[in-house]
Amino acid sequence: MDNILRILFNSMQTGSTYALAALGIALIWKTSRTTNFAQGSIGTLNAYVAGILLSTWGWSIWLVALVSLVTAFLTGILIDTFIIRPAAKVSPISKQIITLGLIMVIVGLIPLLFGVDPYRLPSFIPSVSVSLGGASLRYNTIFVIAISLGLMGFLFWFIQNTRWGLAIRVTAASESTAKLMGVPTRTVTMISWASAAMMGTLAALIVAPQSSVNPNMLLDVQVSAFFAGVLGGFSTFAGPVAGAFIIAFARNFTAFYISDVWGNVIVYSAILVFLYFKPYGLFGKKIIKKV
Amino acid sequence: MEHKTDQTTSAALPEKPGSRFRLGGNPVLQILLLNAGLMIIALLPHLGLMRFSTMSIFAYTGIYTVVALGMNILLGFSGLISLGTAGFIGAGALGMGVFLRMGLPFELSALLVLLIAAGLGALIGLFSLKVESIYLAIATLFIGEILRQIYTSVPIFGGEFISIGAVKLFGFIELNQILQVHRSILYALIILVQFLGMLLMYNLVKSRTGRALMAMSRSEHAAQAMGINILKYRLIAFITATVYATSGGILYAMFFQNAPTRAWTLNISLLIIAMVVVGGFKSIIGTFLGAIIIYGIPNLFLKDLLGDISYVFSGLLIILVILFYPRGFVFVGEDIKRLFRRRRTAAADAGHKGGGK
Amino acid sequence: MNSATPLLQLDSVSMKFGGLTAVDSLSFSIYEGEIVGLIGPNGAGKTTVFNCVTQFYKGYTGEIRYAGHEGMVDLKDIDVSRVVQQGIVRTFQNLELVPDLSILDNVMIGAHTEFTTGIFSHLIRTPKARREEREAQVKAEEVLSFLGIDHLKYAYAAGQPYGILKKIEIARALMARPRLMILDEPAAGLNDRETDELDQLIYRIRDEYKTSILLIEHDMGLVMNICDRVCAINFGKFLAMDSPEKIKSNPQVQEAYLGQEDEV
Repeated sequence: MDNILRILFNSMQTGSTYALAALGIALIWKTSRTTNFAQGSIGTLNAYVAGILLSTWGWSIWLVALVSLVTAFLTGILIDTFIIRPAAKVSPISKQIITLGLIMVIVGLIPLLFGVDPYRLPSFIPSVSVSLGGASLRYNTIFVIAISLGLMGFLFWFIQNTRWGLAIRVTAASESTAKLMGVPTRTVTMISWASAAMMGTLAALIVAPQSSVNPNMLLDVQVSAFFAGVLGGFSTFAGPVAGAFIIAFARNFTAFYISDVWGNVIVYSAILVFLYFKPYGLFGKKIIKKV
Repeated sequence: MEHKTDQTTSAALPEKPGSRFRLGGNPVLQILLLNAGLMIIALLPHLGLMRFSTMSIFAYTGIYTVVALGMNILLGFSGLISLGTAGFIGAGALGMGVFLRMGLPFELSALLVLLIAAGLGALIGLFSLKVESIYLAIATLFIGEILRQIYTSVPIFGGEFISIGAVKLFGFIELNQILQVHRSILYALIILVQFLGMLLMYNLVKSRTGRALMAMSRSEHAAQAMGINILKYRLIAFITATVYATSGGILYAMFFQNAPTRAWTLNISLLIIAMVVVGGFKSIIGTFLGAIIIYGIPNLFLKDLLGDISYVFSGLLIILVILFYPRGFVFVGEDIKRLFRRRRTAAADAGHKGGGK
Repeated sequence: MNSATPLLQLDSVSMKFGGLTAVDSLSFSIYEGEIVGLIGPNGAGKTTVFNCVTQFYKGYTGEIRYAGHEGMVDLKDIDVSRVVQQGIVRTFQNLELVPDLSILDNVMIGAHTEFTTGIFSHLIRTPKARREEREAQVKAEEVLSFLGIDHLKYAYAAGQPYGILKKIEIARALMARPRLMILDEPAAGLNDRETDELDQLIYRIRDEYKTSILLIEHDMGLVMNICDRVCAINFGKFLAMDSPEKIKSNPQVQEAYLGQEDEV
């Protein structure tokens, strides 16, 4: 029982990081029609900002987190303005490769800007835990899960109920139609990139205390976020989030109960088989082609 | 994730037969000359004109070119994408490691590895009939990740890497990485395979098969109406791409004589795609140019000149080439020519007007 | 001209998309050597009929029979990519050519099913593969000169004027030894001179390639000029099928077109 609970809480935490990254990827896919391979790298870059502020000036984790989210916002806007917008007319595949170029630039810049040593970031809440059904649960885990779910909840509310949310949905349906209807699509994509960068950075801040701030810290999150997107389906925003938690649970459970080595292989293969029968994910819809 | 070719491609000028494939001049001759030139590099280190490490970079570029040629068949000609390429290069290198350590002859090992890869390629091809666009791309990423997990966690692959040691070709030519002459011969073999890879691909894309792939990429419905079986050509596209990728892995095992397990990440797959995009869709020489730009130049020059910034530079290069040369770097020459032609006609026009006055 | 058994016979064909009935128990026949026009207001289901005949849609009910090389066949038994081998070819409204292939190569795609060599022969260019390639090229050149555009054969398809692109599509279809040619709006986008030429071209295709022709066209002048018979449909339902003169004066057809003044 306590094992199951422990796995459940762990999966909630890793699932949150996957979900944050996946939501960012889905947002960019819907508004800019490109798969952002650099989602993890952008988050990592800004986690470095937090790391260097904390280690040189000794600021609190809360303050550096806030600053890194602001720099993330700016990173997103810069990337959209100088790279993604000018590439609007480039073929879809080339557009995706641009984000690969972005990974190389970011990963190459990190040692120049921040040196080669990894940074440490503490948890938001120092190690105090409560006992819950026999499993010990850290306050930080509760906090991380709560803030991720809260943020995602806010985002869903925002997209469904506000004028800007409507603008995002219209842009996602068709950018050219949105333009004709007077939706400021430039601003929409810019804000999408900015929000995605912030979500990636938050994922990085959650992951950092467990490992360290290093160039590869979000590799697993990045790849899992893509998987979450196809499992849930990219046509809704809820799909990737659901996919993220499912993947996190499935991986932890198989790793614990079946095999640490084969867990991932089993989960990935199962998702592939699932995809064969539901090619547009759990919540996805087929787009009917007209000839 | 299908790609639509730029509609404004140089257009209406009738061209000489044989130059139809935008390579200018005779494409087969160009392929021959390019590879002959690269072959000469095998001699340069012995004459003291080049370091052996530089030759290794060209060997690496050759391996990348072979893999990227397969990717171009998939991406350029068939409008399909795979993010699992690294897994197949790994399959080539590690598969060779396993079979050679089992004592199988080199040629038999290579054949077995290629057959396994072709089988996996066929599976992806079947899968691609059901799953489309970004879902297909990420499904191939799943396959790459599954392969990577298997490489790192199954003991048969040796944990960190499989050390292969000297390879024995045709049962009697033993070649190792230590003797300089052997390294040159191994390098020459890579260029030979690159040459064959280019030639076979040229034959393929200039045939009924190549036309069918392009028709399928343009419109599946129209292709079917012309009698093109989509399943068959999806299979051809994916199997060809995996066979090329795996051949790259086999060359890797042959030249470097060890096969790492952790190297085959998404980033390698993305680099291969970048080579095709930057070099030029549907261009064989362009694929080589892509490999030179993405891998060759950073490692040949920039590492010495710029040190750590070389990675930033390659990234910027990818972004800039895509923004300013969306059709691929292979068109740079043509565009410069056209610029000059335009200048000349403009000058002629100006002269004409001036004379009229 | 009418022989006893029809070349193509639609027998109460219906096609539904969700709740929408695009084609509603439609029946008509085409005889060998005929030029038949399929007309109807926008959204009448004309292109859906084409897609059912070419088996791109398999979900229709009713029967589509065709007098193939081996007697009458139910087209539903034939895979979409094998329909062409029965001698049924089509062109597309939105021109599905490969822009960065030469015109010659585009036309040679039409000879796809004529080849017997496969990928391995192509990889090493066996003598047989080369011979087949040459034969296809000669044939493509013949078709191109039949259409009067052989001088453009090495040019890319991209950037050609619309009239040329339409001819390339027709050329590609002619490569497959058609017995029934299905033309989707052959006159759309053509200028007046090109439309006039089209009349003659369609007659020449029928006579020299011995094909029957089924066409969708909005240019009523063209339809009334060249068609032996015209089939009018509306909302997927059969209205009338008769000679052009009689269709013109059919009150039901006139009613269907009311409010679509620029169409008639």
